[in-house]
Amino acid sequence: MAYVATRGGERAIEQSQRLFREEMGAISPERVTEIRNAMPYLIDRVMGEASLYDEDLAALALAQTGGELYEATLLLRAWRTTQPRIAVAAPVTQQGLFTHRRISAAFKDIPGGQVLGPTLDYAHRILATEVLNGETYQSPAVQPAPKAAPAQQPSVAAWQADNDLLTAPHPDQTLGNDIPDVTREPLLFPAKRAHTLQSLARAETGGVLALGYAAQRGYGQAHPTVNELRLAEAEVIVTHPRGTKFSAGRVKVSQAEVVNKKGSQLELGFSATMGWNEVKVIAAATLDLNSEGAAKGSATEEEFFLYHTEGVESSGFCIHFKLPHYVTFQSSLDAMRDAKARKAAGKGAAQPEPAAQQGQKTEPAE
Amino acid sequence: MNLKSLTNAWEPMSYGFLDASAKREIRRKSLKAIAVPGCQIPYASREVPMARGWGTGGLQVSCTLINPSTTVKVIDQGADDSVNAASIRRFLARVSGAPTTLDTLKADLIQSRHRIPEEVLREDQVLVLQVPNPEPLRPVQPNMSIARQMHADADYGRMWLQLYEQIVRSGRVMQGASYPSLVHGRFVMTPSPIPRWDVPKMNMANHLTILSAGREKRLHAVPPFTRVEPLVFDDVPYRVEEHGALVCARSGAKGFFMNEIPQDDGSSSFEVSDSELGVKTIRQADGEKVELGATWYKNGEMAP
Repeated sequence: MAYVATRGGERAIEQSQRLFREEMGAISPERVTEIRNAMPYLIDRVMGEASLYDEDLAALALAQTGGELYEATLLLRAWRTTQPRIAVAAPVTQQGLFTHRRISAAFKDIPGGQVLGPTLDYAHRILATEVLNGETYQSPAVQPAPKAAPAQQPSVAAWQADNDLLTAPHPDQTLGNDIPDVTREPLLFPAKRAHTLQSLARAETGGVLALGYAAQRGYGQAHPTVNELRLAEAEVIVTHPRGTKFSAGRVKVSQAEVVNKKGSQLELGFSATMGWNEVKVIAAATLDLNSEGAAKGSATEEEFFLYHTEGVESSGFCIHFKLPHYVTFQSSLDAMRDAKARKAAGKGAAQPEPAAQQGQKTEPAE
Repeated sequence: MNLKSLTNAWEPMSYGFLDASAKREIRRKSLKAIAVPGCQIPYASREVPMARGWGTGGLQVSCTLINPSTTVKVIDQGADDSVNAASIRRFLARVSGAPTTLDTLKADLIQSRHRIPEEVLREDQVLVLQVPNPEPLRPVQPNMSIARQMHADADYGRMWLQLYEQIVRSGRVMQGASYPSLVHGRFVMTPSPIPRWDVPKMNMANHLTILSAGREKRLHAVPPFTRVEPLVFDDVPYRVEEHGALVCARSGAKGFFMNEIPQDDGSSSFEVSDSELGVKTIRQADGEKVELGATWYKNGEMAP
């Protein structure tokens, strides 16, 4: 008898990809442009999680994956990681940001004013079904305010620090390539401050929200007050080899400061990310606020939330369970059957199993 | 002389996908892992064009070690033709131009998920094992930073306790695959989820094994001629899966690790897990001239 092995692996994976692509049709430059223009918030979310600011590449990744967000982020991360680091930009300051929206829940009014900016917060969530009947939905034009809000706004925390309500964090003087980079070094714990903020900046939005929400609902020690939420554009200032400083362009950024009363002072939680993604920065800042002194293994402990909000890792591991595991499974079966046979033969096991097994950990999933 | 003559032409990706700085880091960390056998060395672990958990750790090591004359073999659960093995093999060939093989004897570099081939590996061969979870202490201590401290202190009491509890409760050690093993008398490592059948193949082996966990960003190594001892009590010997007497229904090969295939009539049939060994056995039976290497197990027993 000749060996008729299933040698269809290569062909099967090729055809399965074709089947996936057939559903979506060809990826044209027009499609990529349309995605980029029509879905800025989706683009922002993907750019933030990929930690790669390029709207065209993000739109391409979304087109190429049919909008599968984890896949799109992975495509961008895998592309990003092979790119050389040509320069490190100058630090971005809060007061230097070109601010589109800045609100504070802590005070009725703040220096620089509450600037509502673009938001759907107060929109009535009603589907514009008329579009499906052939009409075009067009929002009326914006009427500019008589007096434009200042483009640059001071930080609320700075005012609080001046008024002895909180101790401002020490400015980190590290510059250039000395700044720890979580994409080029392993994340170890206790984490460097830069690694924590970078990890939160590129964390998966849904994961950060789930853990941040758990902390907000009561599984954390601190209740966040949104001190300041800001959507802005930051100038990317780089230094030419000749020494000239110039702007390489602007990138959209979001940042959130949340505070909590701790004794006679406020404690501060902070998060920032590339692109405009308010849910993510508020949830991430909540985790940052709660992390100090959090119990080992709790959802607000840094090691716990940084590991488990890393979307490329978590989604990859989750879908890896689709891979065959029959060798590992066979190995467990062997031990199980033997234990059963021993029990039947009345040797070995000295204690009844069910009660003793409770709370006993099995091997972790692999 | 102009700038163009001094630089390489633009290419969409580096040779072997990873850029030079990533490869340098992997080389340095691999050397460190070889110097401290069984110790988990953290590394940056770049994203690669495959999902985490699908062999990205092994892939980064393979991408670093590969060159155009490296013959590569990729297996998943013992099989070369498994879809993910096919995918990784195709990727490695695509980014490196390296030739591929299914034959263990012809391979220079073997990337494997959860099996060590049955034919004895040589000194000139490197085995790269994909590792889902590099931390043997995870079942007793899920916190990575505490576990790291426990390794530093060689604090393995809870590992022993866990094995002892299993014996008391079930009459035997219940660990299936990934059997925790002491390397060079110092670090307890996971051999990755290879079956217990494969762990003795690592002990005093001729070949180098690099175990790499991409998602968890750790790699460890078992250098050639290094002791690898499964954790056992003096009076409870280590037991591999009872496959020694099983016969492959397809090839007739006997005394190797088998896949169990449930049958319609409620029984089971078995086929040899090392798929290429099965193929070679059949070819030999058909009268083809096939080179079958020496195997670690002879007549179902690990050769001393």
